Order: sequence, then C-alpha cells, then structure tokens
Amino acid sequence: MAASPFASRSPSLTISSPNTLRLRASTAQNASQTSVARRPQNADQELTEQLNDEVRQKYVKDKRLGEGTYAVVYLGHLKNDPSSSVAIKKIKVNAEYKDGLAMDAIREVKYLQELSHPNIIALHDVFSSKDQNLSLVLEYLPRGDLEMLIKDVNIHYGVADVKAWMGMLARGVWFCHENFVLHRDIKPNNLLIGSDGEVKLADFGLARSFADPNYNMTHQVITRWYRPLELLYGARQYSGAVDVWSMGMVFAELLIRIPFVAGNTDLDQISKICEAFGTPTEENWPGVTQLPNYIPSDRNVPLQGREFFLRQFPIAGPVGAELLMSMCALDPRKRTTALQALRHSWWTTEPKPTKKEDLPRKAGGDKKMGDDLTRRGGELDDSTFKNAARQLDFGAK
Amino acid sequence: MAANYWASTQRRHWLFSREKLADVRERLRERDKAAHSQFPLPDSRLLNIYFNQQLIKLGKRMSTRQQAIATAQVYLKRYYIKNEVRQTNPYLVLTTAFYLACKMEECPQHIRFVVGEARGLWPEFITPDVAKLGECEFALISEMNSQLIVHHPYRTLSELQTELTLSSDEVALAWSVINDHYLTDLPLLYSPHVIAIMAIIIAVVFKPAHSGSFSSGSSQPSLSSSLREGGQNMLATLSDKLAAGAPPKIQKLINWLAESEVDIKGVIDCTQELISLYEVWEQYSEKHCKELIGRMVKSKNLDK
Repeated sequence: MAASPFASRSPSLTISSPNTLRLRASTAQNASQTSVARRPQNADQELTEQLNDEVRQKYVKDKRLGEGTYAVVYLGHLKNDPSSSVAIKKIKVNAEYKDGLAMDAIREVKYLQELSHPNIIALHDVFSSKDQNLSLVLEYLPRGDLEMLIKDVNIHYGVADVKAWMGMLARGVWFCHENFVLHRDIKPNNLLIGSDGEVKLADFGLARSFADPNYNMTHQVITRWYRPLELLYGARQYSGAVDVWSMGMVFAELLIRIPFVAGNTDLDQISKICEAFGTPTEENWPGVTQLPNYIPSDRNVPLQGREFFLRQFPIAGPVGAELLMSMCALDPRKRTTALQALRHSWWTTEPKPTKKEDLPRKAGGDKKMGDDLTRRGGELDDSTFKNAARQLDFGAK
Repeated sequence: MAANYWASTQRRHWLFSREKLADVRERLRERDKAAHSQFPLPDSRLLNIYFNQQLIKLGKRMSTRQQAIATAQVYLKRYYIKNEVRQTNPYLVLTTAFYLACKMEECPQHIRFVVGEARGLWPEFITPDVAKLGECEFALISEMNSQLIVHHPYRTLSELQTELTLSSDEVALAWSVINDHYLTDLPLLYSPHVIAIMAIIIAVVFKPAHSGSFSSGSSQPSLSSSLREGGQNMLATLSDKLAAGAPPKIQKLINWLAESEVDIKGVIDCTQELISLYEVWEQYSEKHCKELIGRMVKSKNLDK
C-alpha cells in the first residue's frame, strides 16, 4: 500500500470532496488545504470515518445559540477562517437509538442536500460525531426572522419592504415546488434573514416530495394559523397550494403586523377562516363537503371579493390586494400557484421592492436563529405542543 | 422523487465509471485479503439477487411500495462500495437499508415492527435489540454522506408511456426490467433515464413471443432467451427489424431515439449488462448464498 495514497485509495474522496465545493469560495480553499495525509492514519479506522473527521475538524463550535427538544444549535466558524460564520445544528439522536433517527432530521437532511437556491437556507456539510450525533453545518443567518421584524414595534417598514420580502419568499417556495418538494411549514419564524438581507426558507422538518397521484399524505402539517382549510378538513391529497395559502397568511401578517386568522384550536381556526374569507360550499368549492373532516357551517358568509381585501389591507394597494386574494382562494384548485404569483403585476407596480441591503434590520438575530432552528415544525412558540403537527403517524404518509 | 436529477447528489457523487468501481472494489479486497480467501462469496450479482429476495420477503410482510425496495437496494450498493461485505452482517444492513428507505419514500414503518419482522425471517441473525438497527441506520447515513434521495427510472417510464404509446404489457415488462437492473451495478453507472430507455427498448423490441404474466417481480425467465437471440448485437437487431419492415411502434421508438440526445452507447451497454445478468442468473442458488453468508456471519461473530 502506498504511503499517503488517500486520494487514489479512497472511493469516498470523489464522493465527499464536491461537498466542500458547495461552500463559499473562501471555504473551499480552506478545505482543500486540510490534508488527510497529515494526520497519522489508524489502520483500523475506516476511510469514511477519516473523511467524516475531516469534515468535522473543518469547523469549530463557538457558542450555543439555542437548544430545543430535538436539536442544539451552535454558532461556529471554519477552523482556517476565524472570520467565517456557520450555524451547527446538532441533532439529538433519541437515547440509545430506540426510535431510529427522527423523521424531521431525515427530511431536513434529505431536502437541504439537494436544494440550492438563494432563498433557501444552505447546508454546507453534514458530519457525525463520536457520540453518534448528526450535525448539520448550515448557513449562518444573523438577522433573525420575519416574525421578529413583524413584532418589533420600533421597526417601521412599508409596502416596498413587504414586496421585497414576499418576492424572496415566493422565489424560495417556487423553487421548492419546481423541484417537487412541499415545504409544509411556512410561517414568519421559519423565514430567516441573511446578513445581506436575503430571506431564506428554513426548517424542512415537515417537507416531503409531491406524492404520486392518489397516494395519501398526512393532513397534520403546517402550523395552525398558516394551515389552509383543505388540511383542516382532513384532505389527504393536496398540492403546492397548501404552501401558497401559508404564503398568503405571511403576506397578510406582514401587512397588518398581527396574524390575520389566529385560531385557538383547529375548530376555531376553521370558523375564523370562514368568517374572514367566506363559507365554502359545493358551489364555490366543488367537493369540499366530501373531505373527511368537513363540518357544515351554521353561518353562511358569502365569499369575500376584492373590496374586502382592499379594505382589510389598504396598504397593499389594489394590485397587491388582488395578489393576496389569489393566494387566499379557499378552493385549492382556484388558488394561485407560486409561479403564477411570481408573474403577478404587483411586483412591477410602483413602489418597486426595496433593495435587500436597504431593508429594515434588527440586531440580536443570532439568538433568534438558535431558537428557530431548534423548534420542531408545526409548533407555535408559545404553545409548544398544542397544535403540533409533528406526532409521527405511521399510518399516514 | 424530489429535486432536480441534474443537480442531484446522485448525479454529482454517486455515479461512477466502470473502471472507478472496479478499482474501488479491488482496494476493498486488497485491504481484507484474508477474509476474501477464507469466506468466498458468489458473484456480486448473485449476491444481489439473494439480498433482493430477502428485501422482497421483508417488504411483503409489511406491504411496502416497490420504490422503497428499489431505494433500499441502491443504499446497499452505496454502502458496499465503501464497506467490505465480509465485515458486516448483511441481514442487519439490508434490514436497515429497508427501514431507512421506507422513511425516505414516505412510507415509514416503526423500528420495532421492522426488527420484529426481520427476526421472524432471520431469527439467527437479527437480535431483538432495536438499538442495533438504530446504530446501523446512523452508520448507513454517515457512509452515504447523508445523501439520501435516490432518483429511479420508474418515473421516466411513466412519462414516456404516452409519448411512445406503450401498451400496458410493454410498460409492465419494462417495469420488471427496471426491477432487475437493481441486481447489477447499473444504478451506479448510468442515469435513471438511460436505464428507463433501455427497459423500454427491451420491452418493445425484444418482447417475448408469448407475453406471459410478468406483471410482478423479475422478467428473467421470459426475457432471457429472446434477449440472447437478439440482444447480443442490439444495433444489428434493430436494423434487421427495420429492414424487415418494423412495426410502426418500433419505427416510432427508433425515430424518437434518433432525435433525442440520449446516450445511445450507454443504452446499449445497459442492455448488454442485463443480458449477462440473465445468463449469470441461471447459476443462482438461494441455498448456496444463504449457506455462505451464514457461515461468514457466524464464524466472524458479525451478528453480535
């Protein structure tokens, strides 16, 4: 065996080195300087273990940003570049592997490995550690999330800012759908903000691929306030329209700075949606009464039109209100798609979206990132398990 | 299937040339010569047939989707190009690949259920301790660099069904050819669409005269003889068929191929791989595989 033939000997080098290429230029440079041959090689150590050590040793953990039931998030940096920043999300493997690796972790790794887009949080690396934890090295997004901006009364923003944020959100969602991925947990605190102001879709713990036709999926997804009526009625076959509804809810919340329909229970959510947008009927939504958990409503509110949206969201202007209305169609087949939304004339209507470097910003976002990345999907911050979408149901898909 | 194949980790990190693959395996062998001479194992394709049959048995007990079985087979391949079979308990690895593939294809099974079923099939090799499976899952994910999405040829087949006006018999035959290709190295060598087109050509051009029932499982018995006659030189067969006034469907397929930018050489190579698979298949003995693996696992205490 040659003396330092790692490259020629290892099948895994070809496999893992392109991974490092995904890092930003500075990172890639550093990575290539780390040579395996420098370390004493333990003959018994598997090659892949060495490679894994390689990746792990590229990073240094600095401080803990947050801890949740399912993960701990650290701020870290590249060993060779102290000025770099990454977030390291260490997934807690359930004690002694009694349940296997959690579906959330699997989903997150699965999709982030494949999706690369400016409006989706980047996964730089994955490594496992000696104590057998899986760590995801994620893009560091120090400027908090949209929820923080919405809630902070000291921050003033206008429709041009909303347009910029919504544009970035719509592009991220479009990219997911274009790649046949449903996010299924879009809400303001999953929309993180990068140092350059770019909005990034995070937390893919509930994501899944589009199902094959006639294949059932679970309806227990999306945090309640952002969950569309078809899921509340228990639909098992649905599409990207569920994410578009959530997008609409985020849009509304950005405009009025409080959640637009905030039910206390799933039933309350249904009645609040019906009161706000109108009662679904077989006429305005063919098939709705056949959905498994459909409940006939005692009040019959007519479907709201353009005037309603303009009245509720005057700041959006008539064109913006129309876009919002198209995202809030009760019948998912009539709801706009992410692609159609991107083609809407609102984006080119005055005022133009704010440039991302000029968007309002807020300090203290790293703690927020820690919280955001450790929370399980489907949870609201203040009611940890009340409306959790996350009970894994093995009968459901 | 999710995400874009052209940008996928599968295409970027898990496609190899034949030379590379041979090289990788040779190095695994070099590192563990003693085990190789002490524990001879059958041809890797025969081993794959055995593993696949075990996976199907496991899948049947839990009524799993074919796609999850296919993903599990690809996981096994990925795992065993980085790890020597003789260092592992293949029954545990294949159960784990199955368990992880089910999660990945959105038909999750509870870990206890999977371990219970696996124990029912191979009581000597699977311990009741579910932590073993959890541990192995972790190893499997790490070895695969957490690159878990597998693109399969099935979708291309369904997409081309209308375009090439394939009959349901032809689709069923092509489907079973796709099932069979997982027994070879082809999933590590070619893109799913190349495999799908190979399967379609086999189904349309070499379809056995008496198309029996090949709706499920392998197409080996019905196909191997007709392939042997015509498949060795696919191009010659195709031009013969053309000269003989090919049926419109074959004509259409050939025109479609000519206009597409599909890697025809690759398609031919895939066809040949399938032909030699069907030849090797005749030597397959489940009992033989079972004995060799059992002896290896037991005498190396790999099941502990």
